[in-house]
Amino acid sequence: MSVKLLRCLASDFIPKGQHVRHGHRMRGKPPTIARTLKQRLEELNREDPTLDFKVNIGYPMTKISRRSMISGWMNEIIARRNNAELEKSSRTRKLLVDLKTVKENWLQIDGSSHTHRIAKHYGVYNDLYGDAYFMPVVPLNISYDTEDDKLIKVYTGNVIKPGEASKAPDVTYDAEDGTLWSLIMSTPDGNLTSADNEYCHWFIGNIPGNRLKEGEELVDYLQPIAPYGIGYCRYIFVLYKQNHSIDFSEYKKTKPCLNLKERNWRTLDFYRKYQDQLTPAGLAFFQSDWDHSLKEFYYNMLKMRVPIFRYDFPKPYIKKQTWFPLKQPFNIYLDKYRDPKQIRKEFLLRKLKKVHPFDGPEPPRRFPLAHPDGKYIPSWLKFEIIKKRRGYSHVNDLNEY
Amino acid sequence: MYSVNARAGITRAFRVHRELHGNTELIETCTEIVNRNPRNLERLRIARKPSGYHLNKPGHMYWHKLFLIKKLRYVTAEVRHFENGPVVSVSSAEWALKKQLYRTTDSSAYINIGRVLAQRCLEAGICEMQIDAALTGNKCELLIKELEKNNIILTEPQVYQYPNSWDRYRPEKPWEIHE
Repeated sequence: MSVKLLRCLASDFIPKGQHVRHGHRMRGKPPTIARTLKQRLEELNREDPTLDFKVNIGYPMTKISRRSMISGWMNEIIARRNNAELEKSSRTRKLLVDLKTVKENWLQIDGSSHTHRIAKHYGVYNDLYGDAYFMPVVPLNISYDTEDDKLIKVYTGNVIKPGEASKAPDVTYDAEDGTLWSLIMSTPDGNLTSADNEYCHWFIGNIPGNRLKEGEELVDYLQPIAPYGIGYCRYIFVLYKQNHSIDFSEYKKTKPCLNLKERNWRTLDFYRKYQDQLTPAGLAFFQSDWDHSLKEFYYNMLKMRVPIFRYDFPKPYIKKQTWFPLKQPFNIYLDKYRDPKQIRKEFLLRKLKKVHPFDGPEPPRRFPLAHPDGKYIPSWLKFEIIKKRRGYSHVNDLNEY
Repeated sequence: MYSVNARAGITRAFRVHRELHGNTELIETCTEIVNRNPRNLERLRIARKPSGYHLNKPGHMYWHKLFLIKKLRYVTAEVRHFENGPVVSVSSAEWALKKQLYRTTDSSAYINIGRVLAQRCLEAGICEMQIDAALTGNKCELLIKELEKNNIILTEPQVYQYPNSWDRYRPEKPWEIHE
């Protein structure tokens, strides 16, 4: 109040030109009452539990009670405590656990929940099933055999180059005889028709047990084809368990299916149709990006131009042009408001003037700034020349960044 | 959000008019595609990295960061994402590790946690991460050394800034690096 009064009086009593220090004015509510940014963000991003809940469409996790687990372990723990060799190696920091057995044990106990967490991190469930998820209770063992006898495995999000994944992988999982399964490999990223679609890369239905060869191959294997410039795409294997044999003949494609439009796929629609007969049980996925081997594949197999894309960066903010821009270098200021195409054209014309039709362009100078021009040059032009010779700023636009 | 614009302007001008079919038609009509992978932009260094606020304690600037939770009986190493929370975790309380260890908090436990964490991170496609400042001491150093030995990079790259036409330098484009 007093500040307001002072301001009111200031105009009448204080002479013009005198510096006055006003008391500081607080914007908004005082800090004890106002909410913090964290609270505000929480309120903005709060999800309504009646609408935004996720549904488990897979098998429930088998919960083992802690007591029953530990009673089985106790003898082993006691035996380990009394092991003098183990103690010695542990104290001398030479105890190295066997990673293979660690992984086997982990898959039995925590494997599915950890895989589920990573898949959620990669947005797999969200893009495939929307508001549903499943627990990957059946561990999938997928490995690509490369030509130089390397075995490349698919885990949860590791990077595999398209050159390494050119042939169909070997898939194994634990399954009893007499059960039926189906395996689908699809990618929700980089669809050329619509952003909501996926590409079906592999579809095998009615697999008896884990003998993939005996299953019905409806869509043949297509290697990862990430277009140039869009980065890493996810390639997701989902294993479904079937209650009984299903007639998938509507999805049957002629082999080899190289028309990408025919491979358009929506997992959610597929699952909705067969949700009474299918239950998702296994999950594995990898990421893949552009590789030089893809160029040949696009030309020879898919018979198309290589799709080249680039990320759509936001345009820079440029202030509105004023009549009298103070303290601004006139050439840089005016260049900001000119058509960038025109600037590029000027640079190109100036460059072409120096290019000999037969000998090509001039060789680059070894010391670009050590060539004095005799006559007087204004400083702004001197600076422009320096920039041009050293290859700074606008000159680079010619090389199509 | 993740849209990518086709650089088809030049090629379209020189398009040969002939019968288009199948994939050729598909690519001629496509002007925009979307990569829905939420981790893609982080791998390409384009994604936003939180920078924290002026009065915050530093240490908010990361996509993935390694944290260590020490308890009296066991140790847990966790890789957290700045939005999604814990992603990969290894604990000496897990039966898989506990089964083969002599003691769950000694140096060799830390070493083995490091080895298993490196393996799980590489399997999850996380090969770069920051390290929490609280990870100090001999045992933590052993863990970090073990991570380094197993091909985990312990720093994260800086965010790529798309240059304006008047900027001096043109940095290397991350989406053109194919190892």
